[in-house]
Formats: sequence, C-alpha cells, structure tokens
Amino acid sequence: MGRRVAIVGVGMTKFVRRAQETGQELAYHAAKMALDSCGLHLGQVDGVVLGSAPDSFDGVHMKGEYLSPGAGAWGKPYMRCFVGGATGVFSVINGWYYVASGLFDTCLVVCEEKMSSFQPHAQAAFLTIFDHTTERPLKPNLLWIFALEMNRYMSTYGLRKEDIALVAVKNKNNALDHPCAQIADKVTVEEILKSEVLAWPVQRLDVSPVSDGATAVVLANETVARRVTDKPVWIEGVGWALDTAYWTNRDLCYPRYVEEAARMAYKMAGVTDPRHQIHVAEPYDPFDYKELHHMEGLLLCGKGEAPQLTVDGVTRRDGELPVCPSGGLLGVGNPISAAGLMKVAELFWQLRGEAGKRQIARKAKRGIAQAWGDLMQVGAVVVVGI
Amino acid sequence: MALKERVERLTQTKAWYGELPVESLYTAGIAGERFFRTLKDNGEFSGTKCKCCGIVYVPGRIFCERCFAPLEEWLTVASYGTLESWTVVYVGLDGSRLAEPIIVGLIRLDGASTVLVHRLGEVTPDTLSIGMKFTAVLKPKTKREGAITDILYFKPV
Repeated sequence: MGRRVAIVGVGMTKFVRRAQETGQELAYHAAKMALDSCGLHLGQVDGVVLGSAPDSFDGVHMKGEYLSPGAGAWGKPYMRCFVGGATGVFSVINGWYYVASGLFDTCLVVCEEKMSSFQPHAQAAFLTIFDHTTERPLKPNLLWIFALEMNRYMSTYGLRKEDIALVAVKNKNNALDHPCAQIADKVTVEEILKSEVLAWPVQRLDVSPVSDGATAVVLANETVARRVTDKPVWIEGVGWALDTAYWTNRDLCYPRYVEEAARMAYKMAGVTDPRHQIHVAEPYDPFDYKELHHMEGLLLCGKGEAPQLTVDGVTRRDGELPVCPSGGLLGVGNPISAAGLMKVAELFWQLRGEAGKRQIARKAKRGIAQAWGDLMQVGAVVVVGI
Repeated sequence: MALKERVERLTQTKAWYGELPVESLYTAGIAGERFFRTLKDNGEFSGTKCKCCGIVYVPGRIFCERCFAPLEEWLTVASYGTLESWTVVYVGLDGSRLAEPIIVGLIRLDGASTVLVHRLGEVTPDTLSIGMKFTAVLKPKTKREGAITDILYFKPV
C-alpha cells in the first residue's frame, strides 16, 4: 500500500450558523492552526488537497480556485475533490495517496464550507441534484431520501423512534465538551419526539444543522512524521465505494457501499475482526438513524443491532465502543466537508489522548472515520491507528 | 433521434426550459469589512502588509497567501495608480452588442503590490496606454454603501 502516511497536525474553526469570515478566511484559520500544531510552515508543504461540497453553498462557482489562497495553495500542486457529504473523509484519502505514492513528503488537507450563503436555506441547493426529467418536476427535497430510508430501516427491524433518538441525545450531549460546537445541548428523548416533523419519520432534532466552518489536517511520510511529532497517527487503511446513482434502487435499510468501503480499508489495515479491533468510531451522523445505519455498514455490529448497542450504553464515551465522542454532526455541526474531516481530527485527538473532557474512558489504539454523500450512495472510510 | 443528428428546431425533440436557482447572501469577511468601511467612511483604500514577503495587499487580507503569516498591520495607500492593462468591451454576457462599449482596466494603486480591476472613465480608447496614471472617482459620501461600486470608475490623472 505504498509508503506509510501519518496525520501529524490538525486545526479547526468553530462551527457556526453564519460566520462573518469569508470562506477563504475560514480555510486559512483551520490550515494555519493545523500547520502551527505540528510546527511546520507553509514552505514545508509539498501539495494541497481541498475538499468542499457544492459550489452553490459558498455562492462561488469553481470555489476550489476561490478558496485556494486560504488553503495555502499558492505556487503548489493543488487538487480539489468533491463527493458530496463524503468529501471530508475522501479528502484525506486523496491526500494519503499523494504521500503514500511518494510524490509528496507532506500534504495539507483543507475542508471548508460556508453554507449560510445559500438563500433562503442551504437545503434548497439540493433541488438541482435530482434527475431533471424523472424527479425534479416533483420538487424533491433531500429530506425525502432520508425519511424514506429511515422508515424502511425502522420497519425492517421493528425499531422505535425512542431508541433512534438516543443517538441525538448522546451526540448533542457529547458536543457540550467540544470547543467548536454549534448546537451542543442537554436534549432529551421526549424533546426530540416532540420536535417539528420535517418529513415523517424525520423530525427537527433528528437532524444536524446548517453550518459554516473549516477543518484541516497535515499528512506526512514517516521520515517527516517522526521528526515533527512523538505521536504520529498512522493512516492504516482507506476505502471508498459507490452504489447506484439511482437512489431509489438502493437497499434502503443497509448501506452496502459503506460495507464495501470498510472492507477495502480493513483489508489494507489488516483488520479481520472490526468489532474488537476498532476501539473508537466516528461514523457519519447527519441524522440520528444514520449513525446506526453506518455502524452496521462498518461491520461494528450485525444488521439491525446498532440501536440496542446505543440503548445499552456501549456507544457512550465510557462504553466499550465509543461512537461519535466528538458530538458528531448532530452536536458539533455540519459544514459538510469540514464536518467529515472533523471526524478524522477527533480520532487524532482521541488516539493521542488529547481530547480533554471528551477523552474516551477505554484505551484506544485504532479508530475509524466514515462519511457518506453524493446522491447518498458514496461511502468513504479511513482507519487510523497509533 | 440519434445523438449525431443535429436538432435543427426545438419542436423536433421534447425539450423544456429549467433553471438552477441560486441566490446568495455574502459577507465581506474580517478584512473585507474593514476595507469597505474605510472606503465608505473615509473614501480611502486600505490594505495590509506582510512583513515577511513585503507584499501590500489591497484590499487588505488577514493572511499572506504566500507565507501564511497573519497580517495585522493596516495602512492606507494612494487612491491613484498605474494602468497595468486595459480593454474595450463591446458585447454583453448574452453575446449581444452593448449600446455603449465599456472600458475596463487593471490599476495598481501607488503603495499596493496587488491590482484592482475596475471601469475606466473620462477617457477614450485611442488615448489609452499601459503605464498611464489613473485616479479613483468615488460616489459622494452620502451615496456610498460599502461596496466595490462605491468607486464609479478610474479617470486619467
């Protein structure tokens, strides 16, 4: 799998509803913080990867070019990648192969999103991702997909909304300890079940918010990594996979594309028994049921078993398999690509024992981050370890 | 109808108009806020200087894109400068002829390392040459709103 690649530095801005900063300024803050955290300067960066979701969020067409000064790309090889919601984790995979291949010794990976620009609400940006002939005349909304999927998941396994809501309770509570969090809250199951219905069975508090923010990580080969830090966090495996773009034809109650991505990453990492060899997980949780969905796709439990693990407290910070100790998208916020990369940043802090109040109780040597996106059929997975 | 056959009239195939509606609410940013407030309130061009690279960015920025140093030192540059290039535009966005051609130029304000693009006025194309000096013509203070269009155009000094 090429040369060993480590994450050696991370940085992130606060996630907020509307930032006064421009997208460039947000990207700069995260990128600068990531470099400062490992004592590298921009001149020591060989190449830059930018992850950012649809151009329409920031309201700048070809926003890769627009954001490049803030990402530190001046005079360097610069690549923008975009797979919708999966971008944050996929950007790390992108950066990984430039270093693993030997092309670069160091690579700065920056993810930025300024969703507040889109009017009247970022959700409307998604109207135009649907097929213009068979779907758009019906005025579909992204929530349609989630609601149809959640309903299918619930009825296949006979799940109760109360059990699924526990994910939102856990994550929003976890986020109380995250200094960058946007909607950390001591919310209760009852409050979630009473919140406004958006598209049954999806309710307001089942959903992550619209956010502005940026996250960055610094990747390095082994020589540089050993020089700049005593605690490199190695990228042990990467994987990504697509299901059909005809989203209606997918298996709605099981994310097969996540399983395929996970299997690819596990094989590379030498993980044969994920339930025991993965110690902390940051699956993508834009909706509470998605954390459960993705835990199953990542083979961290059997199909339909994730809700019970949540009920039993296994996925709490003091549980056997902490899931989204960061607070996830549900609690920290969801500036799409930056939120996905935030998950990788969280594993970096957790494995190094630097997560402060968020530090998980169990000893952890290996973690997994996953994100999901495009027309909801892309899975991107990164396994990291110390 | 096969792809390689050319559709001569819209009625030959089923087609319809659609749109990708995008409406945005922008912020000027931390640096932009200061630049446009200074332009609006004082009629001045403000920038930031990178001590490492010696570059003076106008409009000011909070960071140097070359070395990533945070930029905190603000200064005011001249409202006149040098014409770096120019063009005369005869067609609009939809390809139709403009009633009145517009002249567009690149101006490097004295004291700035970076270049602004804006309209040129009170000048005819036959008298233009690169290297000429131009100065900003601003809207009256009461009409300024903190936007790049507070500059009406640049005119020859």
